[in-house]
Amino acid sequence: MQTGTIKIKIKLKTRWLCMVLTTGCFFLALLWFSNARAGTENASLSTWFVDMSKYAVSAHASLKCEECHGSMTGKGSGKGMELKSKHPDTKAKDFLKTQTKRSFNYQTCRKCHKTAYARFLKGEHAKAALKEKKTGQLSETGYAPTCGDCHSAHYSKSHLSRIQTGKMMTQTCGTCHMDQKLSFLENYHGKASVNLAYEKAAFCSDCHGAHTMTSLKEKDVALNACRRCHSDATPEFANIIIHDSIKNADLKSDIKKSRIKWVHLMRVLSLSFVVAVLVFFYMHTGLLMLRKLHEKLRRHK
Amino acid sequence: MEADLTPPRTFQRFHILHRILHMVIIFNFTFLAISGFLLHFSGFAWARFLVSLMGGAAAAGWLHRFCAVFLYFGILIHVLWLFYYKWVLKKNFCGPDSILPAKKDIKDLFQNLRYVFNKGTPPLFDRYSYLQKLDYWGELLGMQSMGVTGLILCFPEFFAGLIPGFFINIAGYFHFYEAVLAVLYIGVVHMSDTHLAPDIFPMEKSIFTGQIDEQRFKEDHPGEWNRQQTIND
Repeated sequence: MQTGTIKIKIKLKTRWLCMVLTTGCFFLALLWFSNARAGTENASLSTWFVDMSKYAVSAHASLKCEECHGSMTGKGSGKGMELKSKHPDTKAKDFLKTQTKRSFNYQTCRKCHKTAYARFLKGEHAKAALKEKKTGQLSETGYAPTCGDCHSAHYSKSHLSRIQTGKMMTQTCGTCHMDQKLSFLENYHGKASVNLAYEKAAFCSDCHGAHTMTSLKEKDVALNACRRCHSDATPEFANIIIHDSIKNADLKSDIKKSRIKWVHLMRVLSLSFVVAVLVFFYMHTGLLMLRKLHEKLRRHK
Repeated sequence: MEADLTPPRTFQRFHILHRILHMVIIFNFTFLAISGFLLHFSGFAWARFLVSLMGGAAAAGWLHRFCAVFLYFGILIHVLWLFYYKWVLKKNFCGPDSILPAKKDIKDLFQNLRYVFNKGTPPLFDRYSYLQKLDYWGELLGMQSMGVTGLILCFPEFFAGLIPGFFINIAGYFHFYEAVLAVLYIGVVHMSDTHLAPDIFPMEKSIFTGQIDEQRFKEDHPGEWNRQQTIND
């Protein structure tokens, strides 16, 4: 009798638990669906639209639209390239479908950011843009970036701390230079600066320059970059590998490639030594402990 | 059956200096390992949290260097003691009591492996078993190479004048992998060999108290025990 009632009780309990779990799963699924829908709805918005609530707290909040975009008084097939542009044709097929970053005329930025613009023109990204124009082909890392590819004109905030800027910079540079970002984060500089918010450690632009984007392939240039922090660095100091990744070694000069390979070889050797020693002694200790336990249990009998 | 109320006979095993130095090593090794691995795992939020508890990256780096110097002072004091042992106490480094590796250690290792597979008796260790010798030499020599690679990483500007630049990268990897080896070896092999062995569990206190009781002496260091008995007789 009693065992029967207990069984029924257990059955009821499990049924109740199942009910709760299914309802929970149902609501979770609902939540997930609503989230997914929200995602697609946002994605359908064109990059041509500006979230004014975000713009109002950005660095450019005090600027009026026409200060960058022109008056847009005329009508017709203006491509939005010129300062005194006409409004784009609302009936054109590609209306709101072209990439804003590729069609906006970033010479507008020059009006206020003169130094940055001049440095940018001297730098590697501008050279890449020139090359892209000549050959008509994209490089491995995509479009040669102009202002808008790294800086958000509408949403970037001003007066950020060094660490905040540096963290954002690592992400921004990393969207195209993924290997460099990863190897930087593996390096002491990246760990101290990005991960641990150590202000004295270098971020991307501390070595490569803010808008010049120097490649540092040349030794003198690299040494100069090192000397900004390591004031008594010798020429050999510049041979320390910062972006130590075997992946992008092929892009580098032969001598640097061979150095990276040596470093990699040493790394693998030391790792295999560690693994070999640990495997041997772990097995040794494990078996010995089992043996001693066995002896002890036998003695107790 | 009456309970044996007389305290077990104990023997002096470790000098007070060695007990203190062992404590110094424990303290510094722990903080070195923690602060070092927190830098390596700083990509994780828990590591960043622990570093912030330490007072930020600069403080953790300072702690790492301070402990390294402190630990190395311990090793220097130990080396000085070795000179004192040889020249003032006029004692010998060699002999069965020695920590120096000997042929017997290799024999003991193979005998121990045979014992593990139930094909023989356990080896009769002398004052130091081969695992204890390995702990000692691993620490003494390992800290030398950790010290050298650590100095290279700490003063890269100076060392770039002596060695090629990419050697500093190699030193970084050596420093890291040796730390992994040290922590995983000490944490598992040394700990289980000294504390986890069924007859000793939960804790072997002789390195802290300096005393070893008669039964442990007879079982763990029968070679030394037998020699002392013959001397006393």
